[in-house]
Amino acid sequence: MSKGRPTHYDPVDASPVKSFFVHMLTRDIRLEEAILDLLDNCVDGILRSHTPHNASEPYAGFKAEIEFKKDLFSISDNCGGIPWNLHDYAFRMGRPAKRPPDAPGTVGIYGIGMKRAIFKMGRRCLISTQNEGRAYDVEITPEWTADEDQWEIPVKPAKESLPEDGTTLVIGELLPGIAECFGADAKAFKADLERLIATHYVYIIQKGFKVTINGDLVPPRPTRLVFNKKVRGSKKEGIQPFIFKTKTGGVDVFLAVGFTRPIPSEDEIAREQEEKKYSSLDAGWTIICNDRAVLYCDRTELTGWGEAGVPRYHTQFIAISGIVEFKADDAYKLPTTTTKRGIDASSALYLQIKNKMREGMRIFTDYTNKWKGRADESRKQVEASGAPLTFAEIKAESARLPFMSTKRSVPEGDQYKPRLPMPKKLEPRQRRISFLKDIEDVRTVAEYLFEDAEKDPSAVGEKCFDLILREAGK
Amino acid sequence: MKHPPYHLRSNKAVERVAFVEGIRLLAGLGKLSNYTYFGFGGPYLEDFRLLYELCPEIKMVSIEEDPETYKRQKFHQPAGTVELWPGTFSSFLAQYVLNDEKSIFWLDYTGLEYGNFEDFMVLLGKVAANSMVKVTLRAEPKDFIDDPHEFRRKFEILMPDSSAVPPATSEDLANLIQGMVQIASQRALPSALPHVFQPVSSFYYSDGTGMFTLTGVVCRRSDQAHVRSVFKDLKFASLNWARPKKIDVPVLSTKERLHLQRLLPCSSAAGELLRKELGYLIDTNRSQTERKLQQYADFHRYFPYFMKATP
Repeated sequence: MSKGRPTHYDPVDASPVKSFFVHMLTRDIRLEEAILDLLDNCVDGILRSHTPHNASEPYAGFKAEIEFKKDLFSISDNCGGIPWNLHDYAFRMGRPAKRPPDAPGTVGIYGIGMKRAIFKMGRRCLISTQNEGRAYDVEITPEWTADEDQWEIPVKPAKESLPEDGTTLVIGELLPGIAECFGADAKAFKADLERLIATHYVYIIQKGFKVTINGDLVPPRPTRLVFNKKVRGSKKEGIQPFIFKTKTGGVDVFLAVGFTRPIPSEDEIAREQEEKKYSSLDAGWTIICNDRAVLYCDRTELTGWGEAGVPRYHTQFIAISGIVEFKADDAYKLPTTTTKRGIDASSALYLQIKNKMREGMRIFTDYTNKWKGRADESRKQVEASGAPLTFAEIKAESARLPFMSTKRSVPEGDQYKPRLPMPKKLEPRQRRISFLKDIEDVRTVAEYLFEDAEKDPSAVGEKCFDLILREAGK
Repeated sequence: MKHPPYHLRSNKAVERVAFVEGIRLLAGLGKLSNYTYFGFGGPYLEDFRLLYELCPEIKMVSIEEDPETYKRQKFHQPAGTVELWPGTFSSFLAQYVLNDEKSIFWLDYTGLEYGNFEDFMVLLGKVAANSMVKVTLRAEPKDFIDDPHEFRRKFEILMPDSSAVPPATSEDLANLIQGMVQIASQRALPSALPHVFQPVSSFYYSDGTGMFTLTGVVCRRSDQAHVRSVFKDLKFASLNWARPKKIDVPVLSTKERLHLQRLLPCSSAAGELLRKELGYLIDTNRSQTERKLQQYADFHRYFPYFMKATP
């Protein structure tokens, strides 16, 4: 042993540092997503404290009111409050192993969402909660946050009782960037938050939950798929979604992919590429875990686009949309990331389901390719299918469909593969004509023929041909 | 390409003069000779002609995508200081180098497309501080009567309330579009960035088709109060995103106008005063007449004279 080397080794300090929670963890999440974490807590509160009586609207009667202005954020709910037996766990930075198991269907697993949301926004917070008559306040102060040795927070009896059990969380001393967001950028921020809640909470809102932002009720924004109800169990062709359902390892999965609208015409595809016409699209995959959307309208490899025989997303696939629902009593089994707004792409369960997502998607990319250039005919098929259905309606309607069991492939489950109409091959006596003309000349002819300069150019060309054909036949 | 007679549209003409009045106030932020005006002048380059008359020190660039209109612009070029740039505005944004110089842009669209808002957002992020940006968009409620969902499909990301159907009145639609412009400006220049878009005026009008137009200045956040003070005396200044002001000037003969002008400006109830002075109604009833004459009183200095002339 060399001279001067210590003979005794003191243990190293591996205790947590508050600034990690206050300054670092908060970087992993966007402000809007942090607010969704607070909403998740509201919904978990309902599941914890109430047994639903109405199966189709289990969240009816419950609400969360979000208010923000340049110096304050608050969220107030009537979702049952934080039970006193959980008070020692709910405010911990992380989830202690001895915490009692949560109610089935909740999504909180890491014990970090509420604290991360608070530190994301400000340095002072008052949490007032009431559960089964027990009302108490917990205040997080800047002094407490700055004190590395202080890990306990005093609990005080609430100054006044609430009309219903619930929790109110008020955050002050907002960080400068957050205050600007709630002040100078308030209009854009409110629109962003409303859209995020309307899309990510669509199933919870449809099941009765009410969310308001600065007094305005957030309406649900469901994705609807074309579903021809007349085609049921027969071998008739019709536009319907591909559906797959299974129960594996304590997780119920229901998957539907199909068309939200008619496939686009070639003109629409060309226009959309030159000048973006739509600000947002329903196209892509939405993934729901225990009623919360964790991914919305994704069009990347994460959801199978551009992999294993599925083409990369392109404007021509604007009509294709899919929804996958994962439901588990134990939230650990769901394939989500810690922010609960993303998919754990390496999850074995998700990888299996992704196979089915791609299988379903291929049916609709193939249909789109087959009908390319004949969008008008395809449009008629879609329009003849009736009003598109929401995910809940598809689930209900699917009960009447003849599912086929897939026991030898992975994952096992039951699937319904629709028979989409396919074009008959072009007769040898038919020829396709396409040509390019000056845009102003096309407008002039369109105005002349249809009194509409913006008429679809292919309709203008076809009409010209028909007129000359009639003339030539005389 | 066929064009409507832009130069004979009285409400647009009033609004154009109001815009030039706003441009003149830019002198409070620095020499006008340091500014360049960029616009979609159309075949007659009317705004360029007006600007050359009132602010000749401002350099001017017209952006035009239609080759025939471009040729016609060459014919109508009001001054040698007007540069004509052929191409779409999107390609202008991609290619033109602003060289950190102050600009005045008028995005004078005739339609309402999501791409228009995208161009506006790109522009806000590109111009130098103390530049003025004006955007004009179609605000015609009847466009969305047949398919109200088309509006949401097109503009959902920008709508203050994404579930709302487009309003049935021009006033409410103009106000909704203003909200969308406000959201676009906050997205383009979020508070984390040093620049902000400060509105200075906002109008809606119809010369057969409803239109909305909003003018603002891109400035440093630290200069925002100063910019507000520069424009506070602009007639009908709108510095806080208040509802757009309507322009709906009456059709009056030159004789009537000269007769009424003697009484202007007047401090209050101009509509009633002018109606009494005329002694007859110029619209369907007394209140409509007074409303129209109030508009005349408000905008009489900007009102164009259309004269019959024999060349």
